[in-house]
Amino acid sequence: MPDEHDQDEEPELELTSALVPFFVITNGRALPSDQQYERTALVTALKGTSAAARTLSPEAQAIVDLVAHGFLSVAEVAGHTHLPLGIVRILLAQLEESGLVLVRKPVPRAEPTDRELLGDVLAGLKSKFGA
Amino acid sequence: MSRDALAWCLVAMTVIAVAAIAVLVVRNRALGRKKRQAEDSLTVQLNAAKSQLLQTQAELTKYQKEFDGTIREAEEASEESTKAVLKGSASFLQSLAAEQMTVLEQIQRKYGGDAVLGDLLEVTHANAQMQRKAQGIAVLCGAPVGRRNRPASVYDVVRSAQSQIRNFRRVEIRQQTGVALKASAVTPVALAVAELLDNAASFSQQDAPIDVTFQRIQNNLCIMIDDGGVGMNDEEKQRASELLSGDVVPRLSQLGNQPKFGFPLIGLLARQYGFRVDVTGDSRYGGVRAVVLLPEGLWTEEQPSPVEQEPVSIARVPESGTTQSRPRTLNGLPKRASRQTPVAVASDDREEQPPRTTEDSGRTSGRSLGALGALQRGTLSGRNLDSSPTEGSQDA
Repeated sequence: MPDEHDQDEEPELELTSALVPFFVITNGRALPSDQQYERTALVTALKGTSAAARTLSPEAQAIVDLVAHGFLSVAEVAGHTHLPLGIVRILLAQLEESGLVLVRKPVPRAEPTDRELLGDVLAGLKSKFGA
Repeated sequence: MSRDALAWCLVAMTVIAVAAIAVLVVRNRALGRKKRQAEDSLTVQLNAAKSQLLQTQAELTKYQKEFDGTIREAEEASEESTKAVLKGSASFLQSLAAEQMTVLEQIQRKYGGDAVLGDLLEVTHANAQMQRKAQGIAVLCGAPVGRRNRPASVYDVVRSAQSQIRNFRRVEIRQQTGVALKASAVTPVALAVAELLDNAASFSQQDAPIDVTFQRIQNNLCIMIDDGGVGMNDEEKQRASELLSGDVVPRLSQLGNQPKFGFPLIGLLARQYGFRVDVTGDSRYGGVRAVVLLPEGLWTEEQPSPVEQEPVSIARVPESGTTQSRPRTLNGLPKRASRQTPVAVASDDREEQPPRTTEDSGRTSGRSLGALGALQRGTLSGRNLDSSPTEGSQDA
């Protein structure tokens, strides 16, 4: 019955975009800064969160389920949920605020060192202690 | 002598009198005849005039009717041609907006890790509202609403509706259901719910919540929208019910300068797709409760589309030590290639080759595999330590 009225000359428009746009999935939350959830930051669910998680959106729930039994990196979570990285970051911010997940920052990379300076220090030490 | 003269005089006078009377009588008779004749002719004339009047009156009413008919036809013709013009332009906008939604989605995926994503989300929101307006006008003018090929959970249909209004953050969907709408019902129900949500948002305070709940009543699925706005009086309710039933279809020209086509549009969709909408109830906040009543033919109990419900792969990192028997990839990463199966698990024993590694090893050279494996083992040994919130001890 619903298909009877599209017998007009033009074919009915087909909507190919996702039914639920990303901005609704994140409920309009702003994007956290990149530094807050780096790709390599590790995420895990905090224990005993199943009761609090009942009102989550399916996407946030999927993330909690994903990391329920261990650590996954932010990039891995994005890969598994097929959501853009930024959307995952927003959801993680929301989940972290509600105390449902724990996000562990990656170990910061060592600062690139000035070779010359080190050489000078070495030279200084050598001259002082005469090695 | 004088007596005679007197007698004669009398006689003469009598004669004269009689003669005068006779003359008068004769004249009187003639006058009467004339009067009758005149009366007769006047009556004839009057009758003729009367019949003429009737005839003219009949003609007048005939012309009046013809005139009214012509006006009506002209109005209908202008309504039709206005609709045709609007339909054409709105359909064009509608397809453009739909195309833009798809493009925007691709861009959002492409730049998902960048800060520009925040702006893209805003643009998408604006576009979603534009799409709804274009859709609404096109449908009111007789265009099809646009279709989706997959069934979707009623929860997602409401979220889709939510995305199409300005203050979407105020909408709170209280529960999820295991009910899916059939593909053909997804767009029309989303559009109708969007109009109801928009109404709820416009007629209540900026920060008041709008609650959406679902309920199964007999063979119907109800979507209930409660707002905290001002209610409607009986007259408004009756008018709304008339429009929502689809029985009363107002002309485009009657919609006003700031066109209120929400209810007529819902009425049209409800009639076309066989659902019902009622706004006469009171919400728990004292505002209006709008109920969309979906009969059994529009939904199923099944879980919705495989894409929306894509099996989420769960990565399990062993809680303690390693489980030798668990399948894993050679490089220790969760397997993304095969989505159907739960994702494999990392363990630090790479001597034991899992059955599925062959497909992966094709992509990676032996050397990098070894390096990655070592890296992963190191990482895992770090991850498997107690999940203390302090600085991780990974040696990656």
